[in-house]
Amino acid sequence: MKLALRELRRRPGRFGAAGLILTLIALLLMFLGGLLDGLIRSSTGAMYALDGDVVVYTASAEDSFLRSRIEPTLRSTVDGVDGVASSAGIGVVQLGARLADKGPRDLLDVVVFGTEAPPLGVDALPGDGEAIADTTLQEQGVQVGTELSVGPARSTLTVVGFVEDTQYLGQAALWTNPETWRTVLTDNRPDQQLGDGVFQALTVRVDDGAVAADVADAIDIATGRSTASLTVVAAAEGLPGVEQQTATFNQIIGVTVGIAVVVVALFFALLTVERASLYGVLKAVGARSGTLFGGLVLQAVVLSAVACVIAGSAAIALDAVIPPGSIPLRISGTRIGQSAVFLLVAAVIGCAFSLRRLLRVDPASAIGSGS
Amino acid sequence: MFLALKELQRAKVRFGLLIAAVALLVFLILFQQSLQNGLLTSFVGAIRNQSAEVLVYRTDGRRILQGSVISPDLEAMVRSSGAAAEVARIGQGTFTVTPGEGGDGVPIETSILGYEDPGLGAPTTLVEGRLPEGPGEAVASDADAELGFGVGDTVTVLPGGLDITVVGLARDVQLNVTPTLFVTYDTYVQSVRSRNPDAGEPLPNVLALRAPPDVPADRLVDQVNGLSDELDTLTRADAADKAPGVAQVRQSFQVIFLLYGFVVPLVTGLFFLIITFQKASALTLLRAIGAPARTLLTSLLVQVVVVLGGGLLLGIGLYAALVRGRIGGIPLRFETTAVLVWTALLVAGGLLSSLFSARRVMALDPYAATTGAGVGS
Repeated sequence: MKLALRELRRRPGRFGAAGLILTLIALLLMFLGGLLDGLIRSSTGAMYALDGDVVVYTASAEDSFLRSRIEPTLRSTVDGVDGVASSAGIGVVQLGARLADKGPRDLLDVVVFGTEAPPLGVDALPGDGEAIADTTLQEQGVQVGTELSVGPARSTLTVVGFVEDTQYLGQAALWTNPETWRTVLTDNRPDQQLGDGVFQALTVRVDDGAVAADVADAIDIATGRSTASLTVVAAAEGLPGVEQQTATFNQIIGVTVGIAVVVVALFFALLTVERASLYGVLKAVGARSGTLFGGLVLQAVVLSAVACVIAGSAAIALDAVIPPGSIPLRISGTRIGQSAVFLLVAAVIGCAFSLRRLLRVDPASAIGSGS
Repeated sequence: MFLALKELQRAKVRFGLLIAAVALLVFLILFQQSLQNGLLTSFVGAIRNQSAEVLVYRTDGRRILQGSVISPDLEAMVRSSGAAAEVARIGQGTFTVTPGEGGDGVPIETSILGYEDPGLGAPTTLVEGRLPEGPGEAVASDADAELGFGVGDTVTVLPGGLDITVVGLARDVQLNVTPTLFVTYDTYVQSVRSRNPDAGEPLPNVLALRAPPDVPADRLVDQVNGLSDELDTLTRADAADKAPGVAQVRQSFQVIFLLYGFVVPLVTGLFFLIITFQKASALTLLRAIGAPARTLLTSLLVQVVVVLGGGLLLGIGLYAALVRGRIGGIPLRFETTAVLVWTALLVAGGLLSSLFSARRVMALDPYAATTGAGVGS
């Protein structure tokens, strides 16, 4: 083992090129993972911020706020279901927002949420004509006190605070009280306006100890299947594109890990061939195959770990320099750690390809070896 | 040459692993190229492959068909300006429909796009059947034919129960990664009313313009945009390319392609560099007994070509076998242009990276054989 580490220290150049390739692969893994996280979070952040356990849509809405409509009578039925602690009406409308100091065609993509329960991270609902904005709008110049002209009707919303991580389908959320939302909806989307007491959906808090999925089923049964109730996680994953993006990126990440296995296998197979005579000598003086293989694995792990550190730093730097609003990259410690684990496992598996060759090295070959 | 091939035979594992690595990388690059193109086509194919060369959105619509609403005063402004030879309405909405008999009967989210004039909004890539000629007829995307949107299938708009019969199929005309139906404007209005009987006359989402014979599309765009800041006029290509999310998808994939594109020549170059170092003594000896440097160089290049060729063939074969059907609603297809471009790029990159090894081979000094040293010394 010491010999393996000493070789890494004394002859780092021998491992430099392989390290560079592994660094690129690690960066690829982190970038792909970060892209997936960014895409998913920018689509679902607002859903995870809902202060509830279950989201209730009407059954024909296909889990879409825009096509869902919960009448007060239906809500009463939901409120009466065992396990339901409380419900809150919610609605959304996607619009463009104008800033006073920007050009007339320079609009911000926003989604105005109207909710009876403030999102997680917000203590109380804002007043009429006010909004709590997603922090991504700060990058566009929005500050506390900024007045936004929303939609073709130029409805005025004054930003009174910010909340993190509440994007919805790639758009920044503006959280308002139900009255403000209803006014914005009626003024800008008259074809979608809803009557008093009518919401697009409900968020439901379940009783302590109740299982959200069970309560969701109970709600749908109680409403005669006129509702489609989902846990918040299922509702977030059910947003358009989320499941497909996750599956596709995970497949690409899987194949990239496979490539890492092959590259490590290739490199260490070459190293083993190069050291065949050295291994013969070591075996002749008593070194066991297991020890030699352990050294090989150690080198692969150290090389991969160094590659992960460099790639992790590069990924963080990339995340910092990519301008907001371009590539939806979200590099997190968890993602870097997960990618590192993938690469380390790939390195160990890749090394196993050299085991057979190493076992075949004959100690007798050391005799007469002049090199 | 003989030596090069003999070495390939003798070191099957080493060269096999390298070919496998190149093949996997080639497969991934091509697969992602198909994924990117499929994704973009599924998002905006209906815009890219419709007949209107200029589209007028409302600025507040943020270049989303459904998000744009052209008010009567704006429509009147465009029509009365005389800038366009012809102006027609396009309406688009997302509806829940029950697919026809070819599908599984489960209601599905579907985009319905209605146009007034076949020359201003109809699909241009018809591959089967015909365009709708009357109420209750539609052209569907051929990618959705198996989902119950084939010619002859009748889909039902929920909850009102309006029946629409598919009379034609067009290629690459999806919108927002959903099955898409092109219908006459009247059928679109009926669909809106079928969903919500209380809805009045829906306003058009965009206006489709035909430029006068002597006016290029770009100039028409400028003229109409000059009418009001409320109007966001785009050529057909810009309307597709500047739709929300399209640039993000392109940029994200470009970074991914760049990284993968670097890995292939790096892996190949590194492999042959190590091999050249390992064979240093043997190569020096060959030079000492009269083998010309050019022969050794040819052997190296033959091996590089065999490895890259093998990797490319395997990777493209894998790609051809697996890139069929759909992934999460995104239709994937074999992209011949991508195969040719990436083959050229990767072969060039691989050969370029092997120059490091070639330089080592060319630097061999036959005299070194008498000292036991090789190229690596």
